[in-house]
Amino acid sequence: MTGTVRLFSLLALCLASGACATVRPEQRAVLADPTMRFEGEPGEDAAMEHVLENRESSFGGGSVRGGGCGCN
Amino acid sequence: MQLTGVFRSVARGLGAVLALAILGVTRPAGAQVAQVDVRDTVFYEPSKSSHLFVMTPAVTVAAQPVEWLDVHAGYEADIVTGATEPIKRGPLADVVTAATKFSDTRHQFRGGAGVVRRDAHLNVDYSYGTESDYHSQGISVTAGSNFFQNNTQIELQYARGFDHVCTTNYEPATAPSGRTRLDSSARCFSKSPDRASRAIDLDTFQVAWTQAWTPVFATQMVLTGGLQHGFLGNPYRSVVIAPAGQDALENHPENRARGALSLKAKYFIKPITAAATAGMRFYRDTWDILGETVELEFEKYLTQSLRVLARGRYYHQTEALFWSDDYTGGEPANGPRGQYWSGDRELSPLSSFMVGGRVLWGLHGAPGARVLGVMLRLQVTAGFDVLKTNLKDFTWAGQAPDDTMAMVGSLGIRGEF
Repeated sequence: MTGTVRLFSLLALCLASGACATVRPEQRAVLADPTMRFEGEPGEDAAMEHVLENRESSFGGGSVRGGGCGCN
Repeated sequence: MQLTGVFRSVARGLGAVLALAILGVTRPAGAQVAQVDVRDTVFYEPSKSSHLFVMTPAVTVAAQPVEWLDVHAGYEADIVTGATEPIKRGPLADVVTAATKFSDTRHQFRGGAGVVRRDAHLNVDYSYGTESDYHSQGISVTAGSNFFQNNTQIELQYARGFDHVCTTNYEPATAPSGRTRLDSSARCFSKSPDRASRAIDLDTFQVAWTQAWTPVFATQMVLTGGLQHGFLGNPYRSVVIAPAGQDALENHPENRARGALSLKAKYFIKPITAAATAGMRFYRDTWDILGETVELEFEKYLTQSLRVLARGRYYHQTEALFWSDDYTGGEPANGPRGQYWSGDRELSPLSSFMVGGRVLWGLHGAPGARVLGVMLRLQVTAGFDVLKTNLKDFTWAGQAPDDTMAMVGSLGIRGEF
């Protein structure tokens, strides 16, 4: 319980710190560049996620989608 | 393969959206009317006895009939051929049976819509997948908003999967040690008395926080949680569980809760027009698997329309609580290894390295002009990656598998009309 409270306190602190960031709209040209997008190339990323999820036990951190067994 | 009524309805619906988008029947709005993305990914894992080849062609079409609305639809197939050892034996067994050849095709249809209103967006997506031994349906909802002059973005996602897998028709009261594996997908999802369909419920929750800290530095933190319930094993695989060689259908727990925390940072290096990305992911689940991932990426513009990306990834995981390479040691029936058994190498302790890259070439016309006379933008990508897995405690009857090196190639073309 204490650990959960600490985790959420830390998350709240991190989120609040976002308000301190002052990147003005006219300074956002680089941030809007495709190389700075976290989602990358959606089709390619989804295909790689599919491969990796069938070759290891971990998941998460990417897109949320389902479908398919990967039994083989 | 028999197409179900649901399958036909979904196919008809998606076909209509695809046709609308491609023909540009939707009302032109602003500069963009539709995007078409065609991609093919090839996965090849060579081996003397148990190779695997998967080809995944995919097409996605999106259209914006009005400025605040996006509709999209997609189709992809997994065309799988290969061979696998159907019975997992540990080092104490000295016989390896011949690998069984298999081939199958998975079809998946996706469709959805999204609305954007000022700084907020909402997307709803549906997917339907079918293959000879597995049916899946899923719905996902994504909502997000920007805060603090668009420097902070929060996105929430929830996905629910309603899947069904084909197994042999054992009674629930049958002891796990008496259950048998499927020998083929023949008669699956029919009324055949020797086949059964078992449900798998999948719930996934995700929160993503993306933050711009400076004009060239941004971070993203993603917290993912997942719940799986139902038949979570491989219906084709059995495991030797007794010294005399008796085997039984793989027996995994019916519930699994999973959690992951991912952190990524991106920095744009202006003097060389390149972006560097570093990422880490921590994973844990109730099967006691701990996983860590480290990723590095470097993407550079060679010219205004050509950029190259190099990437590397290291992954490490511990084994599931009930994992063993050999279950013939007389484990207690109520202990994790006596109660459950697995032949799934993805539940064994392992690590993997992946290195690769991608080349992207993009063209977009000047304002008012079009590329090749019809497109606002054209983009071609080609990627290649090598994945090497180090299995620390997995053998086929004491012999190390030779299918631990995989190659992934992809080619994609996207046009915006």
